[in-house]
Amino acid sequence: MIEVKKVNKSFTLFNQNNAKITVFKNLNFEVNPGEIVALKGPSGIGKSSILKMIYGSYIIDKGAIIINNKNIATLSAQEILKLRKTSIGYVSQFLKVIPRISALDVIMEPLLNSGDNKNNAYKKSIKLLKDLNIEKNLWHLSPLTFSGGEQQRINIARGFIKDLPYLLLDEPTASLDSRNRDIIINLIKAKSNRGVSIIGIFHDEYSRKKLNVREIDLNIETKH
Amino acid sequence: MIIPLLKVTNLSKSYDNIVGCKNISMSLYPGEVLGIVGESGSGKTTLINCLSGNLEPDRGKIIFNINNKETDFLNISESEKRKFIRTDLAFVHQNPRDGLRLNVSAGGNIGEKLMSVGYRHYGNIRSLATKWINKVEIDKSRIDDLPITFSGGMLQRLQIAKNLITSPNVIFMDEPTGGLDVSVQARVLDLIRSLVNELNLTVIIVSHDLAVIRLLADKMIVMKNGTVIESGLSDQVLEDPQQEYTQLLVSSVLHV
Repeated sequence: MIEVKKVNKSFTLFNQNNAKITVFKNLNFEVNPGEIVALKGPSGIGKSSILKMIYGSYIIDKGAIIINNKNIATLSAQEILKLRKTSIGYVSQFLKVIPRISALDVIMEPLLNSGDNKNNAYKKSIKLLKDLNIEKNLWHLSPLTFSGGEQQRINIARGFIKDLPYLLLDEPTASLDSRNRDIIINLIKAKSNRGVSIIGIFHDEYSRKKLNVREIDLNIETKH
Repeated sequence: MIIPLLKVTNLSKSYDNIVGCKNISMSLYPGEVLGIVGESGSGKTTLINCLSGNLEPDRGKIIFNINNKETDFLNISESEKRKFIRTDLAFVHQNPRDGLRLNVSAGGNIGEKLMSVGYRHYGNIRSLATKWINKVEIDKSRIDDLPITFSGGMLQRLQIAKNLITSPNVIFMDEPTGGLDVSVQARVLDLIRSLVNELNLTVIIVSHDLAVIRLLADKMIVMKNGTVIESGLSDQVLEDPQQEYTQLLVSSVLHV
């Protein structure tokens, strides 16, 4: 379960006349095992910021985010690294990788880093590449040369390859055609059926409906 | 509770009246990659030179804990310190010419390093050297060539092989991709990254290139005027910087 409790978040932009932007005041919600929660609200309201706070990429000003009985707000850097490795999958909006590394290696990496053996990691990754409908002749090329939709699927593969109890998805179905969107939706459903707690940002009504999400409207949650 | 591999407390070093680094405290855990960023003159090199034994700090504590053996780095005898540096630490210089002997063959450079930690059997040295030449993607037919015949990128990869062959516990890297052109940079970065993952290396890397830090480092510290002004997870410091100077640094990066 993920619990977001009385969270405040603001940004101070020192180089822009110390402008202070308040994103949330007293944000509260929770996500149960097997549940898919969709964050809803206009662009700029802070949907991605919530995912980043849960992942530890953004500092939490006040309040608590509890995962595995641990409060992200008070964990040290190495404790967050460990929690990410063992528990939290994050699919960012854009793929960030070192040039030259092949798509297959990009996907295998999280498994190898957790001590999985190479043969096993290879088999799992190949299966996922096939499930995701990525053509075989691309597997050994750097994903930086791929189309937007292909890059997004590699990014998803990297986030989905491990069996982790929490998943954070930042627009996983954007830039995909309808066929590939359905493939991703089924993968997300499968994760949910296995009890994974999922928080996502889904830009389209279709995905939200198919995934049977519980919506959290940030327009209402953050009115202050 | 995991014990840090390296724990630094209140480390200070000045050059006469000029501050090199001041009151630095930090911890590094096994398998972590720590990035150090900051403008030139901010004390990055002074700090890693103190940690790697190239400079004697004025004050502070440096404790290494390797395989449950604690080493009080600033309070051991000179001979123990030399041995520790030789067997447990490695230093990759920005300019590979500083870390290699150019009038000794590529294989010889690597072999020397093995001999310094006790290898004596020529056949073993030769086969290990060949394995590592291969690992850093240098054609093994070049093993007997002098490094002066190598390109900049090859030299850097040779220096990396020389440093890693003895399985050191902490590796210091001072701008390892700094002097290389962009296409070669990507290759060396990729190499460092795959070796870090494969061998579970603990690395401290100095770079002014935030993209290098983002791709390689788990944690980072930002230095200014000899002190650490911000530290944390690399993605957190780069995406949600809390200090004015760090915000300036991050917002100054050009995007292609």
